[in-house]
Amino acid sequence: MRKLVAVALAVLALVVFTTPVYAQVNNASITATATVQAPINVTAVNNLDFQSVFPGVAKTVLVTDATAGRWDVAGAASTPVSLNFTLPTNLASGGDLMPIGTWTGNHNTTATPAGTGFTPSGTPTAATLSGTGALFVYIGATVSPLANQPAGVYTAAVTLTVLY
Amino acid sequence: MPMRGLVLLLLGLLLAAPASGQGGRPLRVRGERALTFGVVFPGVSSHVNRTDPVGSGEFSIRGEKFLQVLMQFTLPASLTGPGGAAMPLSFGSGDGGFSTTTIGAQAGFDPNVGGTGQLSKNGQGSVFLGGTAQPTAGQAAGAYTGIVVLTVIVP
Repeated sequence: MRKLVAVALAVLALVVFTTPVYAQVNNASITATATVQAPINVTAVNNLDFQSVFPGVAKTVLVTDATAGRWDVAGAASTPVSLNFTLPTNLASGGDLMPIGTWTGNHNTTATPAGTGFTPSGTPTAATLSGTGALFVYIGATVSPLANQPAGVYTAAVTLTVLY
Repeated sequence: MPMRGLVLLLLGLLLAAPASGQGGRPLRVRGERALTFGVVFPGVSSHVNRTDPVGSGEFSIRGEKFLQVLMQFTLPASLTGPGGAAMPLSFGSGDGGFSTTTIGAQAGFDPNVGGTGQLSKNGQGSVFLGGTAQPTAGQAAGAYTGIVVLTVIVP
């Protein structure tokens, strides 16, 4: 019996003095996510063309006219965008100027100027790309040649910037 | 007979010893919130702060009160998207954080290296992670994901 007690004490001593303090380790995971938006491509399709105008006679191009300006926009499907215009106040031919104004616009998710009318300006206009990521933007305006407007070809840049 | 009783007592202690050596409340780590960059644009880097209550990644740790812990991340170098496309991901030296109270009261650490912390008197702590997604100019559109692993060690 004494031998058994001695053995038990020895084992107990081993346990007490040699039991390691186990390091605890645990882990968990999370995901990291990002969604890359399709870039917006804006393509100038038609120039806004007033064709021949006469001194002293204003001329208007409607958004529904064949010579209306047009841009095609492609981007992420069904995504809201803003349309921002940089508009000239004159067309120029060398140093000669021809006033332009009374801007009109229409944007649509199909390639017809029968969508939503708006007034183009530097103030953003809200629109939404179609289910395939398309938008068609049309623009018209009025030029007002002076009575003594010199003959010539008058041009100016009209810029559309589209942002998500 | 007292000898036999003593032997039984010692045997009982032997059996009980391993259990008592492992302590009380077990260490638990849980992923609480994904690290979310949201919508990003090709060529435009996007950073999420570790204090961002919506975008930052978050883990919770539970264990013994005032427990000292080591925190080590396994961080992805990129997110994987459509067709296996990779979007580079980076983590700055201040993108890791530990707090026992609020998200705004973090102690920052470098998640690339790891950090240390001490759980609260309730045995709680939270680990936060920020980072930077770096889509390339030609990055394909679509959803990208990656896995972040936090390993917590009690030395």
